[in-house]
Amino acid sequence: MTETEKEIIVTGNEKPRIGVFVCHCGVNIAGVIPIEDLVEYAKTLPDVVFATEYKFMCSDVGQTLIKEKIQEQNLNRVIVAACSPRMHEPTFRLVLKEAGLNQFLFEMANIREHSSWVHMKDPEGAYEIAKDHIRLAVNKARELVPLEVQTVEVDPSCLIIGGGIAGMNAALDLATEGYKVYLVEKTPTIGGHMAQLDKTFPTMDCSACILTPRMVDVARNENIELLTYSEVTDVTGYIGNFEVTILKKPHYVDQEKCTGCGVCIDHCPVSVGNEFDLGLATRKAIYIPFPQAVPGQYTIDMDSCIRCGICASPDVCEPEAIVYDDEPEEIKVKVGTIIVATGWDLYDPTELKQYGYGRYPNVITGLQMERLLSSFGPLLGKPVRPSDLKEPHSIAFLQCVGSRNFREGGNKYCSRVCCMYATKQARQYKEKHPDAEIYIFYMDIRAFGKGYEEFYESAGRNYGINYVRGRIAEVREGEDHKIIIRSEDTLLQQPIELEVDMFVLSCGLEPRADADKITSLLRIQRSGDGFFMEAHPKLRPVDTLTEGIFVAGVAQGPKDIPDAVAQAKGAASSAAALMAKGEVEVEPFFAVVSPERCIGCGMCVENCAYGAVELVEDRRFGTIASINQALCKGCGACAGNCRCSAINIKGFTAEQIFEMITGRF
Amino acid sequence: MSDNIEKYIRRKVHKGSSSKIAQKFVDAGLEKIRSCINCGTCTGSCPAGRRTAYRTRSAIRKALTGDESVLQDIDIWMCSTCYYCYERCPRDIPVTDMIIKLRNIAVEEGYILDSHFGLANDIFYATGHGVPANAENQKQWRDLRESYGLPPLPPTVHSYPEAVEECQLLMKEVGFRDLLDNAAKLKAQRKAEAEKNAKEEAEEEKK
Repeated sequence: MTETEKEIIVTGNEKPRIGVFVCHCGVNIAGVIPIEDLVEYAKTLPDVVFATEYKFMCSDVGQTLIKEKIQEQNLNRVIVAACSPRMHEPTFRLVLKEAGLNQFLFEMANIREHSSWVHMKDPEGAYEIAKDHIRLAVNKARELVPLEVQTVEVDPSCLIIGGGIAGMNAALDLATEGYKVYLVEKTPTIGGHMAQLDKTFPTMDCSACILTPRMVDVARNENIELLTYSEVTDVTGYIGNFEVTILKKPHYVDQEKCTGCGVCIDHCPVSVGNEFDLGLATRKAIYIPFPQAVPGQYTIDMDSCIRCGICASPDVCEPEAIVYDDEPEEIKVKVGTIIVATGWDLYDPTELKQYGYGRYPNVITGLQMERLLSSFGPLLGKPVRPSDLKEPHSIAFLQCVGSRNFREGGNKYCSRVCCMYATKQARQYKEKHPDAEIYIFYMDIRAFGKGYEEFYESAGRNYGINYVRGRIAEVREGEDHKIIIRSEDTLLQQPIELEVDMFVLSCGLEPRADADKITSLLRIQRSGDGFFMEAHPKLRPVDTLTEGIFVAGVAQGPKDIPDAVAQAKGAASSAAALMAKGEVEVEPFFAVVSPERCIGCGMCVENCAYGAVELVEDRRFGTIASINQALCKGCGACAGNCRCSAINIKGFTAEQIFEMITGRF
Repeated sequence: MSDNIEKYIRRKVHKGSSSKIAQKFVDAGLEKIRSCINCGTCTGSCPAGRRTAYRTRSAIRKALTGDESVLQDIDIWMCSTCYYCYERCPRDIPVTDMIIKLRNIAVEEGYILDSHFGLANDIFYATGHGVPANAENQKQWRDLRESYGLPPLPPTVHSYPEAVEECQLLMKEVGFRDLLDNAAKLKAQRKAEAEKNAKEEAEEEKK
């Protein structure tokens, strides 16, 4: 399709010539609403000079039809009555542009989501509502004026929040393409949860072996500025031009001087539970989370430190790196794009009292089992029972702990990784203890990924792992801290009672506890499950609804490692696409002030969540509000609250909205 | 032996899964029964099921799939309504309410145990009391009440015998009497039919 040479000039003063194009959307709309009648109805509306229908208006044929009719009928306003503008408004705007008409002389009447889908059981009512939508669109179209698209520059730099496997992969991709990356991680090391895992399903390759080289790559890459033990505290600006404030927490150890020799930990007298080993081992108050941590410099945990001063003595720390009076540091960076890869928290099963977690020592979570199995974990890969440090002979796993649970406090979704990690852990234990008895209690086994079903089949055939279909009802402690399980074997239709040495809860994944903070910092949305929401579930899976901000990994929803990496690479690619072009078009729907009406009360300054309004002195009108169009998101908070009706949002002016409403009756 | 084989061969395949019972649950606002994933938490939690043949999940499953034999099952009367299943169901299904509803449907269809019918008809309806305390052999209840400083008979129909009729009127008004009569009628019909069938079968075998 080529752009037409003929341009249709619209000033807003000529008589509106409105064309209405009604879409069948296959049977989505036409199956409920009589399209022919709708077209006839549209023709009766004032200023409508043309109306027609087509099976799929968004198709090539449909688009060509609109273009031809604009020229043939000399249309100066176009309405498409079809689906939600979310998907196809840009499609049809482009059609107008190609036909030589200003793209903002377009209005969409959503007769699918707002009518035929929601009222499919009441076709007559649906038809009435569809008529209303078309009439409202025609009323508004009459008032539309041409608007000009704004372009803004996109800074060739990206902020990535979260240094797990997703954040790291996105960082490496962008850095390789030549963009500046700020990788912010709140813990002292990158690596994320993947660093805690031992082997990975279904290939059984060692997690650390594939992860640590990547961690080193990230640290070495000159385009990546690694900001560990740091948190994003403020984000202002807009697509292409975000101003980010990052707080670097004090390490109390000079990161330049520290050589990572580790002498200090031999002398530190304070031992506390190690977060990395989920309390199964201890660390000192001065620590690195795990031996392969990147960066490898030490940090003092000041909540536990007793300030005895031993580590600061030159006999202990030769490079004299200890700085007890270290201060937090705030830095500001400007970035063009942001990727959110904040990962997940493990579901806390303490609330499910019937499983005894936290009460019985031999009930542990799946992630704790992972640390027990890990070759660099507290037990060097030889799991024992917490109660007596003996190797368990029998282990039971329970699936869907906290997941697929519609009760209050439960997560409704499937966490997608637990079936496979329990199977993997069971296989790992059986490899070393062929005589062990392993039971996996499940409701459904979801082995959906590449090689997963084969992995599951092999667990039964080659390793003799017992799969029992039933969700455990309750457990109690027997003699010698054994766990007695009560359940139903639903396939036998019999209640069963089983005594095992250890009980592992395959807990699901949850949104980060501080996800709220990120939500308000970045003004992005979350879906019902609490994870960050993508702009479109199928076609825009890595975009958020805030332009220039992308999401990757489990931050968007539960995923295994391959999916998290794939999404991270997708997010990096989408961010790069913006930065490669260097500029981006933004919709001209921002607020404008009528200076003759404004009294300078300043209500709008207070109401603006984006800091886009300020009061200025005008020579003619005195103190008036002034709007920074680059910062304005067009939300309308200022316009709605303006007592003088001095502020209007372009494309949604008071006149246009009033016309939509009053024109109805 | 040969009889057993006959029986086995005659066993019918359960046809279809459209359920009249499930529809009754939906009509009563208990459509949550349809979100059951058969995890077995209810059966596993059930203290009654550990001592009897009552299987909570199986009863719900039968109701959902239209296996009406569940109504005749004595098992559904074994539930002690302890609410463990209700508390633990991951789909948040009010399981105990489902079992109670299942019992309601069973009685409507005439599947009522003789003992339950006797209690409802001969005691509750006849005396206006669920647990009467005024009979000759119930002196221990009266003594117990007196030992706590209470009058021997409670201020119910026992103290006001003229109110029995009012109680019965109430039971008629709310449909309790009709429910019992209908159950008794259906039960008698079924019994007569079964006897007739047995007779015919016996005669056929004689031939």
